[in-house]
Amino acid sequence: MIPMIDFLLIFRILVFPGFTFIFFLALFCEWIERKLEARIQNRVGPMVAGPSGILQPLADIIKLMTKEDIEPRDTKKWVFRLAPLTAFAIMVFAMCFLPIDGASVLSSGTAIASSGFNGDLIIILVFATIANFLLFLAGWASSNPYGTISSARVLTQFLGYDIPLFILALTPAFIAGSLSIGAIAAGFPYILLAPWAFVLFLITMQAELEKGPFDVPHSESELVGGLETEYTGAKLAFLHLTRDVQLVFGSALVVTLFLGGPSGPVFFGLDWLFYTLWFVLKLLIVVAISAYITNVFARLRIDQVLTGNWKILLPASLLSLMLTVVLAIWVYHPFGIGV
Amino acid sequence: MAGAKTWARTKSPWVLHFNSGACNGCDIELLALLTPKYDVERFGIKLEPSPRHADVLLVTGCVTQQCSERLKRVYDQMPQPKFVVAIGACACSGGVFEGNYSVVGGVDKVIPVTAYIPGCPPRPEAMIDGIIKLLNAINPPKKQKQIQAPRAKHTTAEVKQDVKL
Amino acid sequence: MGTNIGVYYHVHTSKSFFTLKAEVPKENPRLKTLIDIHPGALFHELEVTDLIGVVFEGNEFHGHFVLSENWPDGFYPLRKDVDPSKVKLVPTPEREANKAAEGRQVKIIIGPQHPALFEPAKFSVTVDGEIVTNVEPRIGYAHRGIEKTTESRTYMQDIYLVERVCGICNPCHAYGLVGAVEKILKPDVPERARYLRVIALELNRIHSHLLVLGHAGLEIGYETIFQYFWRDREPIIDLVELTSGNRIYSSLITIGGVRRDITPEHIPKIKSVIADLRTKLPFYRKIYNDEPTLRLRMKGIGTLSREDALKLSVSGPVARGSAVDMDIRKDLPYEAYGEIPFKEIVYTDGDTWSRMNVRLDEVEESINIINYALDHLPSGPIRVEVARSIPVGEAVCSLEAPRGELFYYVRSNGTDRPDRVKIRTPTFANIPAFLKTAIGESIADVPSNFASLDPCFSCTDR
Repeated sequence: MIPMIDFLLIFRILVFPGFTFIFFLALFCEWIERKLEARIQNRVGPMVAGPSGILQPLADIIKLMTKEDIEPRDTKKWVFRLAPLTAFAIMVFAMCFLPIDGASVLSSGTAIASSGFNGDLIIILVFATIANFLLFLAGWASSNPYGTISSARVLTQFLGYDIPLFILALTPAFIAGSLSIGAIAAGFPYILLAPWAFVLFLITMQAELEKGPFDVPHSESELVGGLETEYTGAKLAFLHLTRDVQLVFGSALVVTLFLGGPSGPVFFGLDWLFYTLWFVLKLLIVVAISAYITNVFARLRIDQVLTGNWKILLPASLLSLMLTVVLAIWVYHPFGIGV
Repeated sequence: MAGAKTWARTKSPWVLHFNSGACNGCDIELLALLTPKYDVERFGIKLEPSPRHADVLLVTGCVTQQCSERLKRVYDQMPQPKFVVAIGACACSGGVFEGNYSVVGGVDKVIPVTAYIPGCPPRPEAMIDGIIKLLNAINPPKKQKQIQAPRAKHTTAEVKQDVKL
Repeated sequence: MGTNIGVYYHVHTSKSFFTLKAEVPKENPRLKTLIDIHPGALFHELEVTDLIGVVFEGNEFHGHFVLSENWPDGFYPLRKDVDPSKVKLVPTPEREANKAAEGRQVKIIIGPQHPALFEPAKFSVTVDGEIVTNVEPRIGYAHRGIEKTTESRTYMQDIYLVERVCGICNPCHAYGLVGAVEKILKPDVPERARYLRVIALELNRIHSHLLVLGHAGLEIGYETIFQYFWRDREPIIDLVELTSGNRIYSSLITIGGVRRDITPEHIPKIKSVIADLRTKLPFYRKIYNDEPTLRLRMKGIGTLSREDALKLSVSGPVARGSAVDMDIRKDLPYEAYGEIPFKEIVYTDGDTWSRMNVRLDEVEESINIINYALDHLPSGPIRVEVARSIPVGEAVCSLEAPRGELFYYVRSNGTDRPDRVKIRTPTFANIPAFLKTAIGESIADVPSNFASLDPCFSCTDR
């Protein structure tokens, strides 16, 4: 018997809303970010590549892919080669669990709540951590003092910030009463029920994504190119892509957990189209907030970043969880809000 | 494919700045290129910190004895294809410092140079003009589509004819 | 110079100059070091050892300090009997490989090509974890031998040459040479020229201060204020172009006066541009005072006490940020500064933040000075004819460049070329302060601490 080939699933994984869509969405978000950064700084940003420079990130990637790929003598060869590619692959895989067009990429249904399974929230958070760990390995493998220090900073930073990130991600899960991404996204926009958690989550995400003012691993003024210093060509392209997808992933997570995911009014029965539209629009809002935060603050020092985590964010996130538990049990659930 | 490759390379020239003993005149004008009035990010030009990431090496200043070896090493660290632009009279020929005991001379005495932008220091418009001329030499555009550098009236930047990717 | 080498110590105390002269035989030039009495002499003695060959006992070193590594030992380019073009260079000695880390110590090399430094210089920073335990500087990457070259060119050519010591503070260098030569020649410089010189020097100070205020933002990862400061710096550069015809090299100041006049049509234009800048200053002051992350990165960083500042003889905004009230424009007024009222800015904390605030406040003072000078601009000629040959004599000229005290010493021999030109630049005096303050602080603070000195290596190396 010939096994049935699920063409729809292959299409979903490879084209929409899978790999191709995520790839271009990541490049688009990078463009938005660069344009916003330029506007905040009184500049215009990319203009020449495509209309308003929209193809600039694509040009960067193609150029890097076609450049000479140098492997310095002292690098740990296999880690050096594989870490960037694997990090990118894992980030894209983690993205596939998010309900971009109303369902996660891996399911073929369109009902938001039923896509995914209970506990996939934990899985994607673990994936994000693994990708960060691979970035650490990438920097360590380059055997460059700047790369080594930068990757050591990546490690200390994400190990610290992962804890409040997990705790804060549980806040909407607790109100929704489920650890399934689909169930959380289908529920209420939890920003209304737990705005304090939303603010804390944004800040933690900013640190987790190593964006300003927490971008200590990439501080050019002391670490040259950070962990990317020794990378050239395609490997550098994958490191850049990993950053872009991480940005999209972080913003998408905020959208899914706090802004109601792809939920929104649907017209003409084109639910996948409108779900995608709402999802991307909400995502862009988060990207814009993130770009704004990046540009209005000076970079903190690594010790200030760590103190900020252990002394402020971690206690605050625990408080936030306690507050949520109290509110959920005695206020929200009895009145049927947010379930 | 080849067309996409050339397009991407001319649209995304990442530059590395190397000061080989300049007086700061060219350097501050170069830095001014990144700022709101000139903003070369329009052309996809990004100032990169590491030679491994760069496509174009912008050298300012006469090459001093102490710097010449470093300049060579930085050039060697850059991945192919790579281009070198000499910015300022000193980088082009040694300028007023030609013949001093600790000066080697122009950049082309140490590494091959693709484009020369003379001036002391060249105006930012002249630098943009020079870089755009270099890009146009890599990918000769059709007549109408040629990128016009803004206000490039007084510039004399020159690109060697044998530019190849 | 015959058989002896003269060593001159020019000492600038609070309001006066005095010069100590010592002579040493050429065969065995040795002197006792001054660093135990005056630690600030450290770099100066090393430089003299490298370029002229006078050894200071107690402050010896191996290798080269300013000269390139492939320069042969035993040849001193600034001695009169050495023709540097005939010196055979030796192969560069093997670089010492990065020494393996001792225990937890890692050596980080900052430079010579590094994004934090837009100029070549090398700092070997030893770190223990994130804390700096040692800093070893190596300057000389931009050493172009300008002091020697001035001796082979005429005074008029030398003005253009010394301007190219530094592209940022070029009018100050031009004035340093011109001021020293005019002290020998004593021409009757017209009143109007003296005011025009002040305007040129103050426009330069504004542009230089805005430049470093922005650049410090870049060092602490605050790209937005870098872009803002440099946006507001452009109109000032346009004013330089308006008054002198060039954006960077104004070449305005010349022996006997200035080369171009400010016409009555220029005055309202200049006034409107600087008035525009003045309206933007409160915003920047607010950023420097109230922005929490910026304060975290600048307050209490690189603290230099008043005693240390005096001991290391730092100058300019670095000294004034450490409560040393030292401003050559007030102490030894030159040109029209004696007639123009302005405030001397002094901050007392001695950290990066106060050094930056000194500069921010000085921009406002410079605006006041330019306004006053434009209002009180005397009429008359702008330049007098001067002889090309300068009579035998020697003179010093000290002025307040944006980075601190700039010092010129000129000795003439009766021809149209100088016998010796010595340039002491402010950064050269300020670097020891950085070496002192960096130790014990985080590696992340090295760039911002360093940028707060407003370092200029093309000045330092010459």
